[in-house]
Amino acid sequence: MRRTRILVADSLPIFRAGVRNLLARESDFVVVEATRLEDVVAAVADECPDIALVDLNLPPSGGVAAVARLSEACPTHTIVWSFEANPATVLAAIRAGASGYLHKEISPAGLVRSLRGVARGEAPLARDLATLMIGALHGLEERDRAREKAAALSPRERQVLSYVARGARNRQIAQALYISEFTVKRHMQNILQKLGLPSRRAAAVFYESAFEAEEPALTAGTSA
Amino acid sequence: MSEAEPPVRKRSQPLVAVLSSVPMLREALAHTLEDIAEVRVFPAGRGDTAGLLRSLAPDAIVVDNEQEAEAAAAFAREADTPVVLVSYRDEHLLVLTDAGWEEGEEPVSAEGIRNALVGGLFGRARKEAPTR
Repeated sequence: MRRTRILVADSLPIFRAGVRNLLARESDFVVVEATRLEDVVAAVADECPDIALVDLNLPPSGGVAAVARLSEACPTHTIVWSFEANPATVLAAIRAGASGYLHKEISPAGLVRSLRGVARGEAPLARDLATLMIGALHGLEERDRAREKAAALSPRERQVLSYVARGARNRQIAQALYISEFTVKRHMQNILQKLGLPSRRAAAVFYESAFEAEEPALTAGTSA
Repeated sequence: MSEAEPPVRKRSQPLVAVLSSVPMLREALAHTLEDIAEVRVFPAGRGDTAGLLRSLAPDAIVVDNEQEAEAAAAFAREADTPVVLVSYRDEHLLVLTDAGWEEGEEPVSAEGIRNALVGGLFGRARKEAPTR
């Protein structure tokens, strides 16, 4: 029987040992270890693993960079794991080529199940992370829609709106842009009309959703 | 017939209580400690850690969570029990001393935790040994 080759890339010996001991009890896995990116590169030069379990904080440049390197070099299924995960991190890992994302608090049985699932072509994702991901994807859709609407604004109107979003008053905006307060008011009327918004406050919220909500702030998981 | 003596718990090996939120810690430690200690693992964050430790009366404690560490420290000071706190985030082990938590020299590995525990257990044994 051909055994599934697992590369465990983690700087903390405790996690490498935990996975090694766990999988030693299973007859269908063989474990290779790496403590940093250089070890990953050396290991895949030898033989591509079937699956790589990569710590998000793998030295020196992080797990996402390691996933990208692995994806370039091998057809390996990669899972990133970490204590804390936010949607932006999970998305970055998946964009880099990861097949899944798990919490380091995962149970031994859960990890074995996930690894076997990956070997069958499944994409493991912790349940709470799946929820966060859906939220993040909705956020991205909203941002895209807002940006489409914002395309109707002139460069000057967008500039005025950016000041409004920062809480500036008309007089302050006028001073900053060397225009009259009357012109700022006119720009504001045009902005509200073009965006179909009822108020200055709504315009500020719109600006944030279109241009400042790059990274959803929700987090999951904690650790010592 | 003599009166039955109260049960005396005899341990051939020291009892190590592991209070952990990371099941993989148990996987890592079980192998390394199996010949030198009896290891009991409890999930962290289930409340009344002090009560659990009083009932169990372990010879040494491993925790990986700051809240559990504080509860374990309160018990450990009373019972003179060594405690090792595993900090995954900072990648170091902290050992409870009379002066508080001190960063250990051992790495965050199963062997590092074993060494810190053995150091603590021997330190306690030396304190308990009668002086000549």
